Amino acid sequence: MKSGPVAVGLGILGVVCIVLAVLYAIGALQLFTSGPGNHYKHAILLIVLAVASFVAANFARPKTAT
Amino acid sequence: MGLLQGATELFPISSLGHAVLVPSLLHWSFKQSDPSFVPFLVLLHLGTASALLVLYRRQWVEIIRGFFTAAIRGEMRNDSERLAMLLLVGTIPAAVLGVYLEIRIKALFASPSQAAGFLIANGFLMLGFEVLRRRAERRVALTSESRVDQEAHFASAERISFRAAAVVGACQALAFLPGISRSGVTIGGGLLAGLRHEEAARFSFLLATPVILGAGIVEVPQLFSSGVPLAEYLGAAVLSGLAAYASARFLLRYFRSGRLDPYGWYCIVAGLASLALLHFGW
Repeated sequence: MKSGPVAVGLGILGVVCIVLAVLYAIGALQLFTSGPGNHYKHAILLIVLAVASFVAANFARPKTAT
Repeated sequence: MGLLQGATELFPISSLGHAVLVPSLLHWSFKQSDPSFVPFLVLLHLGTASALLVLYRRQWVEIIRGFFTAAIRGEMRNDSERLAMLLLVGTIPAAVLGVYLEIRIKALFASPSQAAGFLIANGFLMLGFEVLRRRAERRVALTSESRVDQEAHFASAERISFRAAAVVGACQALAFLPGISRSGVTIGGGLLAGLRHEEAARFSFLLATPVILGAGIVEVPQLFSSGVPLAEYLGAAVLSGLAAYASARFLLRYFRSGRLDPYGWYCIVAGLASLALLHFGW
């Protein structure tokens, strides 16, 4: 599905994932965790999700004819 | 333990279930509630992942190259690029569920009787997958052909849909339950998605590698802080890798014409026998 808005949405989702990853890594976010502390596992997962979002955004982006 | 894990990891009979059950039944000195138990299992899994990386080394080079090429281009132009994206889509559900359900799942690891129960459930799952597959074969009138000819009517891993890849990937999360086989549910999911048995096994093995490596990266460091006999554990991981390599070669050959049924029956019998032995205080 090629759609500019979808691509932008996926790009924003990727940025949100990166922000959440940083928050988990520095221990500022404890959502769905075992307790206080740095949650690198959650951070790595969110970075993977961010990469997937950016890849999906690039796929969704309408290509200009060359 | 290394040989046991490596031999059972890729067979659809749940290595985790066996890793919980066998030490209990044989009175080995492993404590499943010990904090180093799960990282130890993950280290054994890393041995398995290494075996898979060696087995599919050329494919992984193509897949990684295909991933970056397709990601930058924003378009898939060949099978390697499609397979790379399918593996990404398949890996995400298991990774999300693994990270967010980890604590609840770990609580189950300490119970051999629950592992035996899940092993029985795994057996019924395997038989169920084959019942559905036989139904699909009957729909396209393949009953009179040889097994190899029947299999030729089904697809290769690269042809699976992205939705099916996500569902198969989500099925992987079931394998965090000791007794449910990761390879079993993913091979079964692949069969339901219309793959040949051999291709379903290949997709399952490829899908396993990033999840196992990812789990290893985050769990193994715990081993260094818990005062465990690291040299012995590493030796076990090497044995696990060797056993896994031999298992993978065997299974890929077996699934050219073989089915999941024997493993389903094995799980049911092994689970019932384990429950009986545990009940009578073996």
